[in-house]
Amino acid sequence: MLSSLNFLRQPDLLGMTVRVLLALVCGGAIGIERTGKRRPAGFRTHILICLGAAMTTATSQYLYLEMHYPISVSRMGAQVIAGVSFIGAGAIMMTKWQRVRGLTTAAGLWVVAIVGLCCGTAFYEGAIYATVLVLLAEVVFSKLEHRLLRDTKEFTVYAEYGKPSCLEEIMAKCHMLGVKIVDVEITRKSEENNHSCTVLALQSRRGVGREEILAELSEIEGVLTLVET
Amino acid sequence: MEALDCLRQFNMSSVLLRLTLAVLCGGLIGVNREHKRRPAGFRTYMLVCLGAALTMVLGQYQYLMFDTVWKSEQLSVGMTTDVTRFGAQVINGIGFLGTGTILITEQREVKGLTTAAGLWASACMGLAIGAGFYEGMLLGFLSIFLSIKVLPYIEGFLMARSRNMNLYVEFDALENMRDFIRLLKDRGIRIYDVEIDRRGDVRKQNAPSVVFYLHLPKHQSHTRLMTDLSYSPYVRTLDEI
Repeated sequence: MLSSLNFLRQPDLLGMTVRVLLALVCGGAIGIERTGKRRPAGFRTHILICLGAAMTTATSQYLYLEMHYPISVSRMGAQVIAGVSFIGAGAIMMTKWQRVRGLTTAAGLWVVAIVGLCCGTAFYEGAIYATVLVLLAEVVFSKLEHRLLRDTKEFTVYAEYGKPSCLEEIMAKCHMLGVKIVDVEITRKSEENNHSCTVLALQSRRGVGREEILAELSEIEGVLTLVET
Repeated sequence: MEALDCLRQFNMSSVLLRLTLAVLCGGLIGVNREHKRRPAGFRTYMLVCLGAALTMVLGQYQYLMFDTVWKSEQLSVGMTTDVTRFGAQVINGIGFLGTGTILITEQREVKGLTTAAGLWASACMGLAIGAGFYEGMLLGFLSIFLSIKVLPYIEGFLMARSRNMNLYVEFDALENMRDFIRLLKDRGIRIYDVEIDRRGDVRKQNAPSVVFYLHLPKHQSHTRLMTDLSYSPYVRTLDEI
């Protein structure tokens, strides 16, 4: 570790101020990126969690190094790791369409808490480098994301058709194109004139593109609507 | 070999390497999941893995400080530190985070368990990385990666050939169930168990729903059976769970 920073690692007023300020900066830097995306946990949430976590380790260092109490310095900080995951779990929710949202927010809060612990222990190198890695990965990934999702082989299709035999034709066509049907859900619309709809989870295996599959399926006679969900 | 031994020690370069490796390993596993449009993607895996590695590094840092800068205090007070205390809480914490991803759908199907387990496993891999246990990292990464990449094919193969099938059905009226059961019996399908929800969902005009646990005869394709059953006029919704 950088021994030139050792004067900032003392449990005196200067050292403590640096710890808290660095927690503020690191929490803020990670939080500001999330706020920009309008996620539930923003700037302030991240800062507060980072500061709180820093306080726990700083306090135990004060008790040990200044007051010479025979305590384990990592006990309080360790509980933060479990505790913040409870807060994070509250940010996770399920939408009506059975999609889980907020998992990344929860993981982000959790990491910020650990960065806060590092700040409070005066492990400045680790805190700063972890913050840089998180921010760097965000930048690199936002460029990669679009390409990854375009090449995805699994997708879900919603189809509406007039007569039940259409489903058989759809399945035959999928089989011909080398598309595997992962999941089927069939619903009959009761009010309307015998129209049925299905939700099909498909997996392309022979490298046939998504647009091509959709086009082929919509050509089947009797298929009224075909959309990717 | 000497270089590797140096990286096992706790110093600036090994910390930087470990944290970078954690991001890479977590990210690579996450990209794979993202590709399948699962809820936990690249970012989540990366953050969890990095955080776990950071806890282990932090524990070692504290130990180092006790050995150098705070040596005099340590000698006078006598208490030392436990390197694994921070890391131990990760195992607990990420387990709790994972429960948030598990959900039960309207069709009484449990989803998200694999996501929760995958996150937890990569957090544990992160602990190994943070500890500088590079062999453990390699083995852990390979086994998690293979499980995510290869096992779905085997699982799909087994599922499609399984003679057990769970079927969620919504009827117009519960009286139609008798005809539906006869339809199943005619195909030589045995019914293990039936769960009936008489009330149904208000939004769906009180359609009663039933979950059938079936045992199929040999060489019966699941999708084929679903298509055939969809011809039945009593059925409103049909879903394999």
